Amino acid sequence: MLDGILFEKAGIPAASIVTDVFEGTGHAMAQSWGLPDYKFLSLPHPIANLSEAQLDQRAREIAPEIVKLLLQGQE
Amino acid sequence: MLAMTTQLASKRYAVEDLNHAIDFCYQQGWTDGLPVVPPTERAVLSMLDAAGLEPDKQVAFITNRQVAVTAEKVAVNAVMAGCLPEYMPIVVAAVEALAEPTWGYHGPATSTGGAAVLMIVNGPVSAKLGFNSGDNLFGPGWRANATTGRAVRLVMRNVIGTLPGALDRGTVGHPGKYSYVIAENEADSPWTPFHVERGFKAEQSVVTVMAAEGPHQFYNQLSSTAKGVLTSLCDDMKHHGSTNGQPQYVVVLAGEHMRTIARDGWSKADIQKFVFENTQNSLAHIKRVERLAGAVTAEDETTMRPIVPSAEDVLVIAAGGRAGAFSCYIPAWAGGKKSSQSVSKLIQDRRA
Repeated sequence: MLDGILFEKAGIPAASIVTDVFEGTGHAMAQSWGLPDYKFLSLPHPIANLSEAQLDQRAREIAPEIVKLLLQGQE
Repeated sequence: MLAMTTQLASKRYAVEDLNHAIDFCYQQGWTDGLPVVPPTERAVLSMLDAAGLEPDKQVAFITNRQVAVTAEKVAVNAVMAGCLPEYMPIVVAAVEALAEPTWGYHGPATSTGGAAVLMIVNGPVSAKLGFNSGDNLFGPGWRANATTGRAVRLVMRNVIGTLPGALDRGTVGHPGKYSYVIAENEADSPWTPFHVERGFKAEQSVVTVMAAEGPHQFYNQLSSTAKGVLTSLCDDMKHHGSTNGQPQYVVVLAGEHMRTIARDGWSKADIQKFVFENTQNSLAHIKRVERLAGAVTAEDETTMRPIVPSAEDVLVIAAGGRAGAFSCYIPAWAGGKKSSQSVSKLIQDRRA
């Protein structure tokens, strides 16, 4: 989250991704940087114990959302 | 005396009596679950006075939370935690340490790893203010130990916003999040005090903070040698819960073990070297117990992985009860050395 926020502040488009159990934490982090409406993406939790094929599948599913957020920005 | 002419910036609340004040603090979400001492203006000013700090003095800036921590807010939370005014310089030094980039606030404060802030007090302030370094080391009963750590946690919660479930995501946490403060038993220790090892003078007072798991107790009643006692320690330590990426460990050696090891003439450096060399696991073992991904190769059987980057990352502290065949080790938060390391800060008397 913080990396994404800092990239955006530097004018570089970014798409932060959390797993769903960290959505509240992501919002709290954005809030602490004065960005309560900061947009970010969410994946089902957990990911650390997925196989490579399962991870690839997750990446394929979320890729269009990443592209959309990068193009749309935080406006 | 700066206090009585000094203006505090904090908002005032009118309450009927003490009980209502305590309940009000609960209602506002300002407590760790235990009742707090209501922070009256007089008590907060006394706290600032004892530290020689103006209320608007910035004690710390937590970069990755964009939060400035003023002396006034530290004082308010120190009062709430039950600190005596003379404890304030220790709380201030600990909060300063949390803001250091090497401590790296965000990771250890937020992580599911559930680290608490272990505080180790060294120097003359320890005996002067009654910090416990002996029997029941991590247990209750000593105001200095119980309230200084609690004050730091209340600052983390109430000033920096480290709230459980939001920006404190510890999965199981541990009781040290109430308070986790010990002192080194310099009076009985045969070894160089920890703060002197870190470059401070013996007559200086220092607090060290480490993002830490709970203390893991180990037993050895049978051995009369340094090697024997430390072999039991290493056997336990090398297989503990999260042997992956700990930047440091604290080893706390209590009375019986301390005397046995010292009788053999071992220094802290000897202990560090022995522990470093005898707590290494093969990559094959780490993979077999599913702590590391990947298939076990022939090379993994003989490739040894230390639990910390170097022998100096085993921090040896003499503390704990005089009797009993127990000592303990404390793993630091497993974020790796780049994420968080222990930080030692001088406890300053700013009353000029």
